[in-house]
Amino acid sequence: MITAPMRHILFATGAIILLIAAIAAIALAGGSAIERTVIVFLVSLIAVAGMGVYSGNSGILSFGHVGFMGIGAYCAALLTLPVPLKTATLPNLPVWLASVQLDFVSATIVALILVGIVAAIVGLAIGRLEGSAATISTLGLLIIIHGVTIGWRDVTRGAQTFFGVPRETTLFAAVIACILALVVARIYRDSISGLRLRAGRDNAIAANAIGIDIQKERLISFVLSAMIMALAGSLLAHFLGAFSPKKFYFTDTFFLLSMLIVGGMSTVTGALTGAFVITFITEVLRRLEGGFSLFGLEIPTIFGTTQIGIGLIILFAMFKKADGLAGLKEWEERIFAREVKPPEAANQLPEKEAAPELVAQDLIMKFGGLVAVNNVSLEIKSGEIFGLIGPNGSGKTTVMNILSCVLTPTSGSVLLDGNDLVGRQSNEMADLGIARTFQNIRLFPELTVYQNVYVAALSTKGGRDAKTRTYNALERLGMLGRANEDSGTLSYGDQRRVEIARALACQPSLLFLDEPAAGMNREETDQLMETLRQLCADLGIGILLVDHDLKLINQLCDRVAVLNEGKKIAEGTPEEVRNNPAVIDAYLGRSA
Amino acid sequence: MDLFLQQTVNAFALGGTYALLALGLAVVFSIMGLINFAHGELMTIAGYTLMYCGLAGISFVFAVPLALLASMLAAVLMERIAFRPVRNSSGATMLVTSFAVAMILQVLFQNFISVRSQAVNIPDVISGSILIGGMVIGTNKLLAIVSTIVMLVLLDRFLSKQKYGIAMRAAAEDFAVARLMGIRANTVIAGAFAISGLLAGVAAILWVSQRASVDPLMGFTPVLKAFIAAILGGLGSLRGAVAGGFLLGFIEIYLAAFLPAELQEFRDPIGLGIVVLVLVMRPNGLLPAASLKAEKV
Repeated sequence: MITAPMRHILFATGAIILLIAAIAAIALAGGSAIERTVIVFLVSLIAVAGMGVYSGNSGILSFGHVGFMGIGAYCAALLTLPVPLKTATLPNLPVWLASVQLDFVSATIVALILVGIVAAIVGLAIGRLEGSAATISTLGLLIIIHGVTIGWRDVTRGAQTFFGVPRETTLFAAVIACILALVVARIYRDSISGLRLRAGRDNAIAANAIGIDIQKERLISFVLSAMIMALAGSLLAHFLGAFSPKKFYFTDTFFLLSMLIVGGMSTVTGALTGAFVITFITEVLRRLEGGFSLFGLEIPTIFGTTQIGIGLIILFAMFKKADGLAGLKEWEERIFAREVKPPEAANQLPEKEAAPELVAQDLIMKFGGLVAVNNVSLEIKSGEIFGLIGPNGSGKTTVMNILSCVLTPTSGSVLLDGNDLVGRQSNEMADLGIARTFQNIRLFPELTVYQNVYVAALSTKGGRDAKTRTYNALERLGMLGRANEDSGTLSYGDQRRVEIARALACQPSLLFLDEPAAGMNREETDQLMETLRQLCADLGIGILLVDHDLKLINQLCDRVAVLNEGKKIAEGTPEEVRNNPAVIDAYLGRSA
Repeated sequence: MDLFLQQTVNAFALGGTYALLALGLAVVFSIMGLINFAHGELMTIAGYTLMYCGLAGISFVFAVPLALLASMLAAVLMERIAFRPVRNSSGATMLVTSFAVAMILQVLFQNFISVRSQAVNIPDVISGSILIGGMVIGTNKLLAIVSTIVMLVLLDRFLSKQKYGIAMRAAAEDFAVARLMGIRANTVIAGAFAISGLLAGVAAILWVSQRASVDPLMGFTPVLKAFIAAILGGLGSLRGAVAGGFLLGFIEIYLAAFLPAELQEFRDPIGLGIVVLVLVMRPNGLLPAASLKAEKV
């Protein structure tokens, strides 16, 4: 299932096929030396695209992927190696393996499957690590794979060269595989899983709140990217004919990573750009490495010119264009904007569901010695707007975090229609009908407004009618006109509106809003109040509203609870609460 | 039992070196979120300074402070030239920058010094050994343990008592707020790099005194291990870095000593496998950094 407009995918695929075909044509015209360079380039490109599938979409740089390339290479090579040669060079091979000989294509497919399985196991183990810790653990993965390859002499010939692999990687094979890999990478980027993963990359907490299981999506992309690496590995093995574990270690990792980084890791356009630039510069510098004369000046042989060159290019790219030369968007995304058309069933609002009641009882939350929430009980009915107010530090947001399962209370119970919510994962909430916004806006800044909302619709209620829900939510909040803008570039008030639209797209029965009017002027606040009232009236949604703005609370809420120092000191209609002496005391202090 | 004790001493010596390196990485990471790939090159610079001092006939006693000074200076320069332009970028950007710096420095060493490994004169006192309670212990091992303890105590004092040290801890907790309180960003970051350079220098001297040679890639392997130690301990946590360094040292030495001969080839994978197991159980490391908990929803 593709989330991008079909036009994007078609143009991207067309461009990839044309470009790779053009490169192949140049190679055919240029003779065998050029042809070899081009095959290596295409294989690198497959590998870079493979690394991008994981690193680009998840935001976690991986050093370990070349290890998967190695596993793919050894596995495919073991299967295509002629049996007599196999028995001669690897006498201790298990019998079943020694007697197998497959053709290139089937061997590659077997290698892909095997690497997929290995990656699934590895991905499960390291999937829980975040950010830089995850990056370094992939470095460990590379060392582990390298160590096992060297140690497992009976199968891999250890550190010695593994040779005799039939040279089956023709230009044609490389071209087909490269087109395949790039198209798969491009489609994955805009698949549901890819979009969810990019949302999680931009903001993990918000992604959880709209029902995304980031670890699951990470695992999917990890396995897919490892399989693309295995494809590159198999092609390389059958191109070189002989290789050793060193081929799949730090040197090549750095080389491929520099392509990924210089081009920009979150797009296929970037992978192509990076592979082009680095390959071109390496080829030029390699020719200069042996020394040359410039205007009669003899430049001596400089060892490692290519490395210095690549190093300087990376520094330049990082200083000037930290997102890579191609930036964060595919070229076709820059050229063709998405048309947001009202879906055919646009005005058929989803049926009112019998909205459940949320009952929280005796909530207590302790952080170390601090009791942030002390014995608070609340009840939120469907179709009502319930306000939660109190001075700073009175525990409002903590209560909201408990109700939306971001925090687990020290004791107490939260029942939604009789189901206990305590101890559930925060990403289950959206499907149970609770959607929320955050005090500090948490959008997915690199995604467009449309994608921000669409990914929420896709990740809840099984993704049914996602387009309709997205359209309706955007329309309600008046954000249709800005659907194609990156959400990170919007004004503060608009960002708040997108956040509410995103929560609404989850089709919730209860909506939690944490200071929705913060940063809005009076006019915008009034507009927002009107929108919220309509939500309640039209959709029967219950709203829990946390805010400081007493005017907003007074005019909007059906019932209000007041917290002070973690305790509920009053509850009732805004009128009742306003006149409650304890509330006046907490807000204004006792008059002397 | 003797073998066990002997190996425990070795483990403390190796673990101490890893701990110093990991600590150097953690000091910088906790303040600016950079994982410095070029940390190993700081070690190499200290190593080459020792070598040149030996060639110039400077006594080892003077060579050591010179080597430390060189690695500190190199660290501060590295920050000024390469890392300042990317200071507020993402972790990945900074990491990649540092990896480019490491690559360039390695090629420079290869071209201007030598591709091959060069001998370093180590005084006999250090390469000798002494007898303690029936165990023969290399002086260099003892030196490693003692210097690690001294460095850890000094750093702890600095961070808890000195004005700059406290400023650094504040910056590690919340850099933006620390700046608002009048702590100069450039000073704190330069200080962090100087400390990490100093720690790398000490680690380099310990490393070289065991091997008596330097090569352009000398810092690569130990710093790779230090990365893993830092993750194991909890990235950005100073105590964690020390704990991770020692634990990794213990894992490596005991595996080398007690793993059956037929499995010795798989020593590194098995060691790292143990690390991964620890991380699966504690994804934020042994002693997680305080800043991890601070994120408000």
